[in-house]
This record gives sequence, C-alpha cells and structure tokens, in this order.
Amino acid sequence: MERIPYIAVLVIYAVVLLAHLLPSSVPQALRDRVRIVAGVGVLVHIGTLIEGAMFGTWSPGLQEALSASSLGVMIAYLAVAHGQQKALGILLAPLAMVSLGTALVVPNATVTALEDTSTVNLWLPVHLGLLFAGVGGFALSGAVGVLYLYVRDSLKNKRFDRIGRLPSLESLDRIQFRSMLFGFIALTLGIGAGGALATASLQQSWALDPKVLYTLAVWFWYFVALQARLILGRRGRWTANFSIVGFAAMVFSLIGLNFLMASWHAYG
Amino acid sequence: MADLIAVGLSHHTAPVEVRERMAMSEEAVKDRLMRLRLDGAADEAFIVSTCNRVELYAVPQNLPLIESWMREHRGPAGEPIDRYLYWYRNEEAVRHLFRVASSLDSLVVGEPQILGQVKDAVRLAEESQSLGRMLGRLTRQTLSVAKRVRTETRIGESRVGVGNAGVDLALQIFGRLDDKRALLVGVGEMGQQVARAMVGAGLKELIVTNRTYERSVECAAEFGGTAIAWERLAEYLGQVDVVITATGATKPIISADDVRRALRVRRYRPLFLVDLSVPRNIAPNVDDIEEAFLFNVDDLTRVMEAGKRDREKAAADADRLVNDEANRFMARLKEVEVGEHIGAITRRAETIRLEELERTGRVLEELDERQRKAVDAMTRAMVKKLLHGQITHLRNAAREGEADVIETLLKPWRED
Repeated sequence: MERIPYIAVLVIYAVVLLAHLLPSSVPQALRDRVRIVAGVGVLVHIGTLIEGAMFGTWSPGLQEALSASSLGVMIAYLAVAHGQQKALGILLAPLAMVSLGTALVVPNATVTALEDTSTVNLWLPVHLGLLFAGVGGFALSGAVGVLYLYVRDSLKNKRFDRIGRLPSLESLDRIQFRSMLFGFIALTLGIGAGGALATASLQQSWALDPKVLYTLAVWFWYFVALQARLILGRRGRWTANFSIVGFAAMVFSLIGLNFLMASWHAYG
Repeated sequence: MADLIAVGLSHHTAPVEVRERMAMSEEAVKDRLMRLRLDGAADEAFIVSTCNRVELYAVPQNLPLIESWMREHRGPAGEPIDRYLYWYRNEEAVRHLFRVASSLDSLVVGEPQILGQVKDAVRLAEESQSLGRMLGRLTRQTLSVAKRVRTETRIGESRVGVGNAGVDLALQIFGRLDDKRALLVGVGEMGQQVARAMVGAGLKELIVTNRTYERSVECAAEFGGTAIAWERLAEYLGQVDVVITATGATKPIISADDVRRALRVRRYRPLFLVDLSVPRNIAPNVDDIEEAFLFNVDDLTRVMEAGKRDREKAAADADRLVNDEANRFMARLKEVEVGEHIGAITRRAETIRLEELERTGRVLEELDERQRKAVDAMTRAMVKKLLHGQITHLRNAAREGEADVIETLLKPWRED
C-alpha cells in the first residue's frame, strides 16, 4: 500500500474537518473552498486506489477495504455538503479519517478467498465498488441521522440558541432517506455481483459464509426501514434510528466480524 | 496631516423634529458641497442625508466657516442645534463612517438600506467633484469595509419580532415555506403577525378560520388567503403544514387526538403548530406526538431572546472588525503622508547639495571630468548616508503610529 499519497489525503481530510470544527484555525480562502479541497482529496484518493489496483501487487485486503470505505464517506460528503449541510463535515470527515488512518496502521492482510489470484475476475472490482459505494451511502445516512436527532431534540426541548444555524429537519430527513436508498441499491447490486463472482471462481457453495449471512441481515434491516417509510410513511426519527443502527452494524461487518469468525471474506 | 472631521446628528442624538429640519434633498446636498468648496470652508467633503441622519464629512480648510453653517440651523423651538450635534476627528471620524455604512449605527442594526444611501452620498460627492485624495480613499475603503462586515459577520441575518420568530422556527423544521400551507385559527393580533411574516417569507397558501365567518373573510382578504367555515377546522388540520392559533377560547380547541388523526392523513410529515393564545388553544400534550412540533407564546419569546443575543454577538464581531479596519486605514494614511514628507526632505537635501556645489563652482571648474564626477558622486553619497537614519526612523514611526516622533524628526526641516 502506497503510504505517502494516503498520508497526503489524510492531511487534506484533516483540513476539511478543521474548516468545519475550528473555522478560525483555517484561512478564509480555504474555508470558502472547503468542497474543492475535499474534492482534491477525493481525486488523489481515487487515483491512489486505482494506481494500487493496476500497478501494485494488488490483492485486496483489510487496508484496501478501509481505504475504500473512507473514500465512500468523503464522496458522500461531497455529494451533499453545500449551504448549511456543510456542517456534515464535522461528522463525515472524522469518519473518513479514522477509517483511512486505521488502514495505514493495520498490517496488510489479504482476503482469504483471493489469495489465489486466479480466482480474480471482472466481477471483483464491480463487487467491491458497489459495496463501498453502499458503505458511503449508509455512512452519510447515519451521520445525517445523528444530526437529525440533534436538531429534533433541540426543537422538542425548546433549546433555541442555534435556531437558523443548523440544517432544517425536512432537508435532513430527505438526505438521510435518499442516501439510505442509494446505499441499499448499491448493497443489493453488490451482493448480486458477489454471488456472480463466487459462482464464477469458487467451487464451494458460498451461501453459508458468515459474512454473507451477516450482510444479508444488514440488507434486511435497511429493507424494513425503507418499507416502513415508503408504505407506512414512517420518517424522521424512525429513519434516523434505523440508519444509525444500520451503519454501526455495517462498520462491525467491515472490521469486527472478520476477527471473530472464519470466513472466505476474512483477512488471512 | 490634513484633518478629517465628521459632524452631524442622528436618531441617537436628535428627535425627528430636528432631523427633518436638517434633512437635505440630493440637489441641496450637491449645492452645499459646491458652496463648501467655493467658500473655502473645505478642500474635500461629502454629505450623508437620510431620514435617520445628516452628516458632513470634510477635510476642513476653514473650520469656523463649517461651524457657522451648522449653526444656521435651528431646532423647532428656535433653539440652537449644538446640543444635537456630534463632532468626530480623524480616527474617530473614520470609525464612525465605517460603523454607519456597516449598519452598526442604524436604528435597526444590520438593516441593509444604509449602504445604498452611503453609496448615493458618494455618488453625489463625485458629481460635485468634492472628493479628493483623502475622502476618495476613505469612501472606497468604507464601501469595502461595509461589504466585509456583511459577509463575515451574521449582522444582517437575525430578525426581530414575534412574526419572524415564528418564521425562524418554521424554517428550522421545513427549510422553505413556498410549498407549505398554513391554517390561521382565530384572528388575534399575534396570530396575524406570525401569519403576515410567513406570507412575507413566501408561504404558498394561507387558510383562515374564525368563529364569526365574516371576520375570517376580512382577514383572509388582507393576506390574500382563503376563508373557511369554523366547523371545517378538524378536516383542514390534515391538509396544512402549519397551524397558528390565536382565539379567545377558554378551553383547548385542538386536542392530541385531532393532531394524531391529521398526521395519519398527512402520512407523518411534520406538523408545525404555534399557539399564541392564553389560555392555550392547543392541548399541551400535542407536543408529545413525535411528528408534531408545538410552540407557545413563551417559546416564541425565547426564540426572540436568542435572536437578540445573536445580534449582540454579531454586532460585537462587527465592531471589532470595524475598529481593526479604522486603525489600518489611519496607519496607511500616515504611511502615505510620511512618504510625502520623505520626498520633500530628499528634494530639499538635493537642492542644498546643488547650491553648495555651485558655490564652489570655480574650484570645481579646475578639476577634470573624472574628478568632477567623483566629487558629484561623493556629495550624493554623503547626503544619502546622512538622511538614511532619519528616513528609516520616520518610516518606523509611521508604522508604529508615533506621531510625536514623526513631529520631532520633521521639525529641523520645517524650521529651514
């Protein structure tokens, strides 16, 4: 894994975070262009990932997974961070930084099933790309969910000192729903691509792999959340709670699960 | 340094009876600016005249003339207007103008009109050719400071009044009002204020209902809304996003069950309710319903208090910014001025050198070309080295704003 460009990316994300968290510590010109700064970081990040995939001795493992998650989160930030929604940087930038920072310090471990590179085919990048796009969507949905609950509590408890400085409830609700829907579609297609990949390259049945089962449970969780909203009209706090718990489960599947259970998806 | 003065009166110092006697039309302003210069009262001048203030900014040539012009004006009872006037000099005057243009001195702090009025004043002065180097520089800087204050502080953002407090809450929930419908229940004064502010903020539709139908028709007509019969209140609850109540009813007229039914109809999209009546018209336990956001009179008062704190903080930020800018402007002005003095000193020294060379003319003529050039270069270098220390001190003193040091350094050249 290329360390130098990743450290540069990390520094850029740190600038994005500082611009939101401690505005006075960052020059005005940078603050006004924080989205452009984040965009540069994302481009370098994408470039580094692709460079690693094409020219490195690429066998995707834990480091790449964390790095791609971080990228997904920052792309999600770019997609919505304008106007008052800029405040989302306070939640998303640290998420991206922790993820990428962890990628830099953990030992590289390749996914067990991919140690034999002959199993790698075209479905692999599709599978991975879709899943990490999903992670980005769910991260955004979860972060917006936290912000939604905060604004909602301020209003319900009649705390008025930040009125007009935070995004409106309806706009937050809209973003948390759309990003959840995006994440769900990407996850669905990603799981499908994983199935195609396994069928094409593995001999055994893949259906009982623990990570596959766990991911299907997460998928079902989001399915329920979306149905409750689309059919029953349950939105706002409902969606927020679903998306926060869902994202926590997603993070666990990304990092924790592999160390607890034997799986093809485990990092060997 | 040429002095700068500001003299005038404003809503802070003078009642409207006095201000209206001083107020000037555009023509009167141009005429006055012309006369100030023709009479030799001021080298440069411009006048800001609005309904809240009349102020003259000038680089005076003859201060008593300006004073006597001001004294021509009398109060409504024939009293002298001295007691209403404020006078500022130099840095104070610069700071005052920056504050005025940034709307920090306005009746409603942060209101945006004053900048346009200052721009008009600058334009009139330009047309009367009464802006010179000093006021030209000052007016340019004033407009840029006002712009900075507007973009870098929240001075123009917070609004006053119970109506706007309601709008602020509605926007915190919905983000926009142009696709929202509101139901005004009762035609109480505060309810109307909130409704008016919401219509002003772009509300899509206002529906009015009242126990006496005729009053609701009148009120609806005033806001361009629709009146409905009192009996249809419950039915309409499910069709609106905002409910404002202001009736004289002694018991709640909207219950938690009413709101629950309405929310089912609107598929749990949030409902914003403002209860401005005392005793309350909406059952307080409505706020326990997740999607209902209920606020009463006290809540709106607290929103207004939060807005006031915001404005005070923004005003403090803006004041700091204006002070910094005023200090910087004065420092730059001094640097420019010291630069002029340095130019004068250098020219004076060169004149002395040439005079002395001329005085020794015959001796110099005996030298050959090369030697003459050497003498010339030597005297030049001497003058330069002798002046170097002084010039450095002058520049430093200008940077540090040490007026007395500058004065001491310039003194020997003045006595010449």
